Amino acid sequence: MTAFLLWFLATLDGAFTGYREAAGRSALIDKRRYFRRAMIKGALFAQIAVVIAAVVVIVSIMLVTDGQDLVRAYDRAGAHMLFIYVPYAVMMLVGFLFRLIPSVDIRSITSTVIFGPFTLIRPVVAVLGLAYGIASAARPATIIPGLIVLSMMLSLETVLTFWRKQA
Amino acid sequence: MGREFNRRVSQLKSQPLLIRLLWRALSIPDAGPEISDRIVAFDAQTFQRQPVSKEAVVNEFLLLENRTAAEIARSLPEKSEGMLDPEAMDRLLIKVHCEMQRLSEEFQHGQRVAEVLDSLLQSLRDNHVRPPLRIVDIGCGTGFVIRWLTRHKSLGEDVELLGADYHPALIEEAARLAAAENLSCRFVVGNAFRLAQPATIYISTGILHHFRGPDLIDLFSQHNRESTCAFLHFDFHSSSLSPFGSWLFHKVRMREPLAIHDGVLSAVRAHTPQKLLSAARSGAPEFVSAIYGTRLWRLPIPRAFHSLVGVRPPYRSDFLSRMGRKVNVLGVIE
Repeated sequence: MTAFLLWFLATLDGAFTGYREAAGRSALIDKRRYFRRAMIKGALFAQIAVVIAAVVVIVSIMLVTDGQDLVRAYDRAGAHMLFIYVPYAVMMLVGFLFRLIPSVDIRSITSTVIFGPFTLIRPVVAVLGLAYGIASAARPATIIPGLIVLSMMLSLETVLTFWRKQA
Repeated sequence: MGREFNRRVSQLKSQPLLIRLLWRALSIPDAGPEISDRIVAFDAQTFQRQPVSKEAVVNEFLLLENRTAAEIARSLPEKSEGMLDPEAMDRLLIKVHCEMQRLSEEFQHGQRVAEVLDSLLQSLRDNHVRPPLRIVDIGCGTGFVIRWLTRHKSLGEDVELLGADYHPALIEEAARLAAAENLSCRFVVGNAFRLAQPATIYISTGILHHFRGPDLIDLFSQHNRESTCAFLHFDFHSSSLSPFGSWLFHKVRMREPLAIHDGVLSAVRAHTPQKLLSAARSGAPEFVSAIYGTRLWRLPIPRAFHSLVGVRPPYRSDFLSRMGRKVNVLGVIE
């Protein structure tokens, strides 16, 4: 369950990173198709980070003698990361729910109060979640896959921009 | 400009220490002009492009102690003999306008303009003003508002939408974008007040703070035309919070350093509602003007943008009745 939730949040974060990377680059009025494609691309790129982290996790479990203990440590680390990441994700989703209300003021407030500040603190939240997870697991082996996913998720926007320039 | 700079510095010094420290820490600029005001120049009569010396731009910002702006100007490409590359400046400004559109979309600006415009247009129809009701966007840039209004067809068949700007590259881009989405609006290079077919309603977004002192009054005086029934100008709301809010959103949402700098500075340079009203009443005395959108609902929270609305006296009561409870929601200074 923990692994599934982390994968889901990474995919969601990837999709919104795709949206953010695409925003401000097209001046058309109707951009639904453009943003849909950008979000799918972001979510797909996030899978690369997930797959690499999964491979590192599996290999590390295979290499140690106390594999079961390491699995439990990963699970503990993941569960603690969720303590930080789930409230953050819930706040963003609450923002989207409010955004459904057809009022220019309420929609603007979601940007002022939620989307703007929460985008600003996203890297801090990502680092805090990882640090909390690693600290609670108390196994150095959890550091490497954690850092791999963190660095890949935080550089996702740059990677998407690089990809756009190449295309 | 020197007087304005001194005024801003003394205004900043009067702020509490914490605000001043935060202002410095975030490198929020103190005073104008904006970089985009300086990197392109056109002859006001012929609209001919004029060369711009990069050194002159850099030195002007250094003189104003705006090192961020000087650095940004220094990084801009040159074409020949120290002059800024005009094509590169055009590309940069199109990019900046595209980034600015992102904020307009996020803050529902199209819908916001449509809501007030709709009441204005209804009041003109109530008073049998002859169609077409021509709306002209002054300094439309890449024409986001005009294109949004056309795309959403929210104003009615008797409305004609037109954008005007001095900058040919921005108008060309606006026309290209409109054609890409089969939008029927038009864009022209030139002075919005000297069009062959004058506006029924003049609108604008984010241009008022570019006009200082007598230029602001002069801008309003150009609305005094027989066929012009109303005007609706949106600009940043001046408050002690606005530079910080503007900084946050431009940092998070913008990519171009020029867009970040100018966006934050726009909020710093914003006119107070009182100043706008006073200038509008001096320049356009034939209109009854008021500021809408001064606070959020009935709370003492300032909005990011407010709007200066001017209507000819015969249309005022119908406009207010068409606005209905929106007036209370927006808040008004008369």
